[in-house]
Amino acid sequence: MPNKTFFAFILPSLIAMVLFIALPIVSVVVQSLYVSHEQIMVEVENCQPFGGCSTELRVDTAATAALREEQPLGRFNGLGTYVNRAHLATTELGVILSSERSIGEKWAQILNLPFYKALIFTLVYCFVVTPLAMALGFTIALAVNALPKVTKGPIIFFSLLPMIITPLIGSLILYWMLSPNGILGATIQHIFNDPTLSLRASPALTWGALLTYGVWTNAPFSFVVFYAGLQTVPGDTLESAMIDGASRWERIRYVIIPHLAPLATFVALVQLMDNFRVFEPIVGFSAEANATSLSWLIYNDLTGDSQQFGSAGATSVLTILGVVILLSPVLVRTWREFKHKAV
Amino acid sequence: MAQIRLKNVSKRWNKFVGVDNFNLDIADQEFLVLLGPSGCGKTTTMRMIAGLEEITEGEIWIGERMVNKLEPKDRDISMVFQSYGLYPNMTVYENIRFPLKVRRIPQDQHHERVMKAAAMVELEPFLERRPAALSGGQRQRVALARAIVREPNAFLMDEPLSNLDAKLRVSTRAQIKNLHHALKTTTIYVTHDQIEAMTLADRVVVMNKGLVQQVGTPMEIYDRPANTFVASFIGSPAMNLVSGSIENGVFTSDGIRIEGLPHRASGAVTLGFRAEDANLAEANGQIEAPIYTVELLGEATMLSMRVAGELVSIKVGKDYRAEIGDLARIAIPASACHIFDQSTGARIEA
Amino acid sequence: MSEAMAHKRPALLNTFIYDFIVLWVILAAVPFLWTVWGSFKVEADFFSRESWWNAIFGTATMRETGAAFTGDGYYGAWITRDFWKAAFNTIIVTICVTTISLTLGTLGGYALARSGKNYAFWILIAALVFRAMPHITLVSGYLLPFFQLNIWGVLPTSIIVLVAINQPFTLWMLHSFFLSIPKDLDESAMVDGCTRFQAFRLVIMPVMWPGVVTTGLFSFLLGYNDFAVTAMLLSAENQTMVPKISSFLGSIQETGNVMFAVAAVVSATVPLFILVLFFQRQIVSGLTAGAVKG
Ligand SMILES: Nc1ncnc2c1ncn2[C@@H]1O[C@H](COP(=O)(O)OP(=O)(O)OP(=O)(O)O)[C@@H](O)[C@H]1O
Ligand SMILES: [Mg+2]
Repeated sequence: MPNKTFFAFILPSLIAMVLFIALPIVSVVVQSLYVSHEQIMVEVENCQPFGGCSTELRVDTAATAALREEQPLGRFNGLGTYVNRAHLATTELGVILSSERSIGEKWAQILNLPFYKALIFTLVYCFVVTPLAMALGFTIALAVNALPKVTKGPIIFFSLLPMIITPLIGSLILYWMLSPNGILGATIQHIFNDPTLSLRASPALTWGALLTYGVWTNAPFSFVVFYAGLQTVPGDTLESAMIDGASRWERIRYVIIPHLAPLATFVALVQLMDNFRVFEPIVGFSAEANATSLSWLIYNDLTGDSQQFGSAGATSVLTILGVVILLSPVLVRTWREFKHKAV
Repeated sequence: MAQIRLKNVSKRWNKFVGVDNFNLDIADQEFLVLLGPSGCGKTTTMRMIAGLEEITEGEIWIGERMVNKLEPKDRDISMVFQSYGLYPNMTVYENIRFPLKVRRIPQDQHHERVMKAAAMVELEPFLERRPAALSGGQRQRVALARAIVREPNAFLMDEPLSNLDAKLRVSTRAQIKNLHHALKTTTIYVTHDQIEAMTLADRVVVMNKGLVQQVGTPMEIYDRPANTFVASFIGSPAMNLVSGSIENGVFTSDGIRIEGLPHRASGAVTLGFRAEDANLAEANGQIEAPIYTVELLGEATMLSMRVAGELVSIKVGKDYRAEIGDLARIAIPASACHIFDQSTGARIEA
Repeated sequence: MSEAMAHKRPALLNTFIYDFIVLWVILAAVPFLWTVWGSFKVEADFFSRESWWNAIFGTATMRETGAAFTGDGYYGAWITRDFWKAAFNTIIVTICVTTISLTLGTLGGYALARSGKNYAFWILIAALVFRAMPHITLVSGYLLPFFQLNIWGVLPTSIIVLVAINQPFTLWMLHSFFLSIPKDLDESAMVDGCTRFQAFRLVIMPVMWPGVVTTGLFSFLLGYNDFAVTAMLLSAENQTMVPKISSFLGSIQETGNVMFAVAAVVSATVPLFILVLFFQRQIVSGLTAGAVKG
């Protein structure tokens, strides 16, 4: 296809992506280098008829507003935002690491730094939910594959629901069931015989609920892909393995799993990408006291009374770096293959 | 109808050369066949003529126009694809009519022309079917009908018969030849089947690795191959090639000696001769060697024997009987010998 | 294969398989059924302090309204709190996002599938990276410029942004569908007298519908399920359903009308149910199309 035709076709799409994906990334980087203006103070001389004069500092609202109007970005701050307490917290981290405390205490202190708290939860969510969801999905796929044909359709229907559901709504539904007055929350209190046990009060329970939600909503995707993969397992190989005397488990281990391995890479990649932006469940579960994620941090910066664009920008840039690191194995592999092909 | 001219045409992808400096004049009404092994650049050449592939270098002329920059639709050619390229959502009738429709040919001519084209390839009973409901041969004919429904400058056909079974291939080949006779449209036909090339072509272009090896009539290519590649590609079995040396019109090598050659060259050469040109010798022959295998073909018997490290094939009468290992004496007339330069492979004329 | 082997399976394994599947279906479906059922009760039942049997029998609902089921939650959400407006906005947003995404995506996906040039490959890789960007990071880049340009808060802005965010995925998916259509088809059309665009429109699109429908479903889901973009870019009066529900939460929990939110959640879930019911096959094929192409 000649270059001209190619660009004629792809231009609308390309413009949309450049304007609303590439440029915002640039904009985020720029924002992250600025902080909002401080309020402008003026010295006002306050003279009372009989008390003489005193000077006091006052906020010059008009001037502040004018300045903010004029330079909406704020003032240049370099990498200041990146290293402050709300982000990489280099100073605080240094103090904590060099202190004489035990590892557990250090860990607890690090968890108190907002960025690390969010980062750790995000990573845990990614790397716990993804493998568990894949394992669950794979098991469901094996089980459904063994069922009689008529039951498969309805089971697939119900299985798709947790995935297709709006994340915020799905997490709300689970949250309500898990709340102390909800069916599951009440049952849990009953089981542990502890009437104060609740999501709000227990970080462990919050994490557990979020991870459960993650597995619940991610498993269907693995299931569907693996189920489709199972339909293409070569029958001949399976039968010759049977003749060779492979047990049921050995057939899964030596025929089915290797056949599905490329699919597994694909599923893992997609789910890691999706789980890295975990956000809605934290809003849905009102979990911010016990668990936050990188995306939630940005959201929080942007929604408060005063929107902190600089802070949101810095977290965004750090998040994007995280995405790139997450994707780097794929990118490196693609690059190698491309080089290989071109030579 | 028009003549087609390719001047120094090359196609490269990055560093890979697909077609290298292709020069050819194709006369009006000519049936030209591009022949060569898989991957030699035949399809690429044809697609450059059609405008489906950009030309890296050179010029292509159709009639009086340089077409390098023209869209495929403006080159006014029609093409039959190897996998037919039929429109699955249209009936046979609509498929054949499509070129008329998009070229804004007046509506009132459509029906008549579609029916005429369909009649030429005997498709009338299938006009209301979709391509999915046709056999391979029928689909092939729809593709042909779609190509002939208008009167283009040229037909381009890319291995149109390769998906057909042997019997259908013979009859469709005849049909194509007949169509060309009736329509007299300049045709470029790509194949790697030399029988198709020999039976259909006015002229054949033999290609290898992107380079034109020889251009000529089928007889010229068979009788006077320009180099060892053409010699070994054309004919079944391929021409026997034996390396040795020539001096004063005498070719010698291990187990073979041919005298009385008209060639004046001397030094290391390759000798070529065809299996069917060799015969059993009455007394002492040019080759004397033990038989390696005997194959009964029905209409003839094929012997092979090892000469100068190569297996050579000799076609002898169908009643000849011998055992593997028996000594055979073979006569090769000097007039049937081809001499090629050993290093370049180029033909050395007498 | 599976049926033939079924009778050879040990009974114990069979029981295990059936139990497991039943358990999974319960896990997958019961939260929805429970919430749908509960949305017709009053808060004292759905969030019962005494016993969750109340939610089933509707003890408090009976006491408060005189019947075992009540539509109060729905009335409150849809009428009192203007959820109908949010639903209407959602319809506009999803329809626009789906059609625009597909229009841009089919054109671009087609070009990518047919180009074969190196830059097409790099565009696809860039799209893959873009696809991985958390949406909220992009949103934090939009706000300031949008305030400046004075286009914050209105539906068209959100629509365009959702279309753009959706493009990488749409391009990938449509690109792999286009790859499965033989190149000969558009090339024949061009030789027959079509321009590239005519070939695309007259010959390729008619055989592309399954791919377009499947991709459209996923574009729809993205527009429908989005929270990050719509929550941040729409003003309160232009909110779509999902951010509206989230804004319910803050205000309603205090006034004790959490049932409004439950009713709204159930209302927003219904279209998704219907979608899966009718397009189950396409959804499955869409999920696996990406996988096969890698
Ligand atoms: N788009 C492309 N990019 C890179 N190389 C290509 C491309 N298309 C073709 N080639 C290479 O160019 C060479 C010639 O290809 P072409 O299709 O013309 O062969 P052919 O003679 O038609 O072979 P066949 O008989 O198998 O159809 C091949 O080696 C092929 O791999
Ligand atoms: Mg070819």
